[in-house]
Amino acid sequence: MASREIVRYKSPARSAFSVLVILFLIIFFVWTVLPLAIMLITSFKDLLDAFKLPQEGDWGGVGVMFDFTPTGDHYIELFTEKHFGVYMRNSLIASLGSAVVSVFLGSMAAYALSRAEFRGKRDLLFWIISTRMAPVVAVMVPLYVIFRSSGLVGTLPGLILAYTTFNLPFAIWILKGFFDNVPYAIEEAALCDGCNRWQALRMIMPLVAPGVGAFIVLCVLFGWNDFLFASIIGSGGAKTLPVATAELVQPVKIQWGSIMAAGVITTVPMMFLGLLIRRYLVTGLTMGAVRE
Amino acid sequence: MATVTITDVWKYYGKTMAVKDLNIDVRDNEFLCLLGPSGCGKSSTLRMIAGLEFISSGDIYFGDVRVNDVPPKDRDIAMVFENYALYPHKTVFENLANPLKFQKMNRADITERVEWAAEMLQISELLQRKPVELSGGQKQRTAIGRAIVREPKVFLFDEPIAHLDAKLRSHMRGELKHLQRRLETTTIYVTHDQLEGMTMADRIAVMHEGVLQQLGTPGDIYNHPVNEFVAGFVGEPPMNFLDCRIERVGDSVSLVNDNIKLVLGGDQVRRLEEKSAAGEVRLGIRPDDLSVEMGRDHGFAIDAKIFVTEPLGGDMLVDAELGKDRVTVKRKIAEMGQPGEPCGISLNIEKLHVFDRESGEAIF
Repeated sequence: MASREIVRYKSPARSAFSVLVILFLIIFFVWTVLPLAIMLITSFKDLLDAFKLPQEGDWGGVGVMFDFTPTGDHYIELFTEKHFGVYMRNSLIASLGSAVVSVFLGSMAAYALSRAEFRGKRDLLFWIISTRMAPVVAVMVPLYVIFRSSGLVGTLPGLILAYTTFNLPFAIWILKGFFDNVPYAIEEAALCDGCNRWQALRMIMPLVAPGVGAFIVLCVLFGWNDFLFASIIGSGGAKTLPVATAELVQPVKIQWGSIMAAGVITTVPMMFLGLLIRRYLVTGLTMGAVRE
Repeated sequence: MATVTITDVWKYYGKTMAVKDLNIDVRDNEFLCLLGPSGCGKSSTLRMIAGLEFISSGDIYFGDVRVNDVPPKDRDIAMVFENYALYPHKTVFENLANPLKFQKMNRADITERVEWAAEMLQISELLQRKPVELSGGQKQRTAIGRAIVREPKVFLFDEPIAHLDAKLRSHMRGELKHLQRRLETTTIYVTHDQLEGMTMADRIAVMHEGVLQQLGTPGDIYNHPVNEFVAGFVGEPPMNFLDCRIERVGDSVSLVNDNIKLVLGGDQVRRLEEKSAAGEVRLGIRPDDLSVEMGRDHGFAIDAKIFVTEPLGGDMLVDAELGKDRVTVKRKIAEMGQPGEPCGISLNIEKLHVFDRESGEAIF
């Protein structure tokens, strides 16, 4: 359904309200962006500059924060001495690997659940999502035991498997909704055109691309930002960025500059991913296919 | 080039019966129309022929080959769907090329076939567009194009023009019929619009509640309907029905109710006796076989009152009240009276249909 123009009628209450809305948005913007901005700035300061802060309540002194000589030392240090290149690769492999596996298995399961009618389908769907209802911490210990006895602890495949366990139910539910919206007739047309089931599924995959895109973002974010799995199951051989960042907090010395720089390199790739995938998130691809 | 034979086919959805003991022989190169109101089982039948639904029991043959267990892709059929079912992410060209691609045809041949089909359907200049940029009629042509690019054994049409506007629909009726004659391919066409059946089909199969009522040429169906349902469903405006009883006085046999008394001809009497018709029957007469004149001195057999008149341009429909019954008369346009004014009606006894009131079966 295309969006419609919203008709507004002027009134004093509405004008006052819109002022409030703008005010709220400004506060909200500062609230959201300020921590990121401080992180970015601090990552380019040496330790002395980092603690040059204005007095509490001294809004005029904010300028002090911008008075520093930029240095790239923290970044260089992270990638040379602290092996962040490796951790970044681990993070990428774990989160993307899990996303790919989840999309592949999830789209097949979702397709079947969307198209086929069988006894106990609703129960099965509920069971699938119910695996997400327990908090991760609750299943951590048994999961760790299973992973250890399978030799998966400290390996990337282990981490991918762990993320997939939690991403797959999501994938199935999200993608099922998208498959439900693809008219059956398009598949039937494909079947008549000479496709088998597999080829018919491939024909309609572009129509669920917005769902796949949305899901990949969620899935990659989950893996990329995860700390719990990474610290317990990935510890050692498969250290990822969040775990490596946490290790910068050492008993004798908290390396603020490095931590901020690590924060930046953890955040930036996800922002690019969002931008990259944005066009797949735009729905409306099925419009005009069939007459509803 | 194929015949399609449907033998003792039943279709159930759970416990609901959709098609009951269906037997139809579709001849080679024939244009057969499955006609009926919604829910009559015509679409289920078509989908079973396409292989999109299981056959609950019975067999379907293409030529001599039993196709019950043959998947759609191996049946060599082409289907046009009610809602077009184009691939929205592909251009018109790619939509048309798709079935050929799966036949492993080489690219040059594909282009040639697609251009041939596009030219035939006058969509050549649309080939690079996506379905979303097409009008309803253009989408529908594209869907037909996708069916005709390869030379299938059978065309299956599922109400392909039901969603077009009236003018385009009437245009497409002619086009589709012309196309079918030119391509000489067995065609099974599903519709609920009796006009489409009458105008296009070689033979019509009228279905109702999952049961085949009558299979015959449009002329057969129109002039000799086998029961009240077929008589009422085919023809526009629909046939008039009046409850009557049979009265025998000496040698003459007549149909009588409160307002009319019709003396039947010898042939009609003989058929009544053959079928040993019950005393209570239903009379059917098409609006074209009635005449109406205004005034009291009309000289016609039946007195009536005008209910409403509906001019159609050259012709007009006159609804007249006969006691508590109402009949529709079609005539050339003329100045008719206001509602409530008296008029006279006569009917062409030769064109009379009589149905058993219990079973609805035609007596003649």
